[in-house]
Amino acid sequence: MSPADDNSPDTGGDDILAAEYVVGVLPADERREAAARIERDQGFARLVDSWEVRLSPLGASYPEVAAPAAVKTAIDRRLFAAPAPAPARASLWSSLAFWRSLAAAAAAVAVAIALAYFVAPPSDQSPQRYVASLAPQQSDVHYFVVYDARTQDIGLSHVTGARPEGRDFELWVMEQGKDPVSLGVIPVGQSVHLAVAQAFRERIAAGAVFAISLEPPGGSPTGQPTGPVVASGDLHNV
Amino acid sequence: MTAQDITKLIVRTSMGDRGAFDLLYRQTSAKLFGVCLRILGDRAEAEEALQEVFVKIWTKADRFAVSDLSPISWLAAIARNHAIDRIRARRQPSVDIDAALDVADPTPGPEAAAVASGESERIHVCLDELDKDRAAAVRGAYLKGESYAELAERHGVPLNTMRTWLRRSLMKLRECLER
Repeated sequence: MSPADDNSPDTGGDDILAAEYVVGVLPADERREAAARIERDQGFARLVDSWEVRLSPLGASYPEVAAPAAVKTAIDRRLFAAPAPAPARASLWSSLAFWRSLAAAAAAVAVAIALAYFVAPPSDQSPQRYVASLAPQQSDVHYFVVYDARTQDIGLSHVTGARPEGRDFELWVMEQGKDPVSLGVIPVGQSVHLAVAQAFRERIAAGAVFAISLEPPGGSPTGQPTGPVVASGDLHNV
Repeated sequence: MTAQDITKLIVRTSMGDRGAFDLLYRQTSAKLFGVCLRILGDRAEAEEALQEVFVKIWTKADRFAVSDLSPISWLAAIARNHAIDRIRARRQPSVDIDAALDVADPTPGPEAAAVASGESERIHVCLDELDKDRAAAVRGAYLKGESYAELAERHGVPLNTMRTWLRRSLMKLRECLER
């Protein structure tokens, strides 16, 4: 099935659907379906993002119009009027040592798997690749993680454990004495990727702890973990 | 404010930093309000949409990490998509062609837009390779959030014809951009 067949203008196809979604011409029902697919289908989400990139220069012609001050007040009321829900497991989150001990057992496994994965010799002296086995914490959720510092890409292999209906897995990096930093909601799939923002690069090094928490769809609304930790593990050089 | 500064604000917002969120609002709300206003064509509705857009930005800022968009384009895409969702959710409008034609179109012409976008004129070069009315359909749909139904009516062609037209135009556009 060539891309041309798959995306013929007359029969449609994912790339055309992505383009139609971005341009905005779809009727309400088809638009809703496409939006739902972006949430659950990473391949489709990437097609949509590519079209957003292609067409985004057109947006330069939107004029800037100052919004009335009441708008920001209303936003703050909607977001911050009620006290932010306290993290469900604040005590656990603050105890890096607790996780370290849990993660230690998984470390040996992680290194063994890593060696099996990367038989090719490293091309560079400096450590560029890290692995972690995010072992289940009172759950059956297990991910194997490979982080490539050069491309700032985190690859996640889903080993076991389904996400509960209507919940997302969110990946965090932990550092002693600092708040957890979200690396994003883990896309659904057997083998998925997360891009690491430049700002977080320094936080991710050997010894850092990765953890996965259970969050509402789209990720934690507070910017800090709100649900239980379902898996965690230490990062190791390969 | 540079793209890198806005990126920092988005990242800090994703970590729950309200100060960063406030600054992000100050720096970008005029652009995003312009987007909502242009698509919705109604000030009160655009204000409400802008509120919802910034609520989304607060809760979904971490997703910026997985997009290839520039930070301001990523924010604008959230505003555009939200505003388009809103007009699609409206009751099917009884399209009054005469009234529609009377509305002055403040969107700069293609040339002005090309100048305004500076380095990104490649998209305009590629749009110019399309037939004039098809390029206008793509621009109109993108900037004003027009639906297939509205485009078909305005161009006086059946809906399916419009859909085939636009799809072919988009594929040609992609081909040109990747050349």
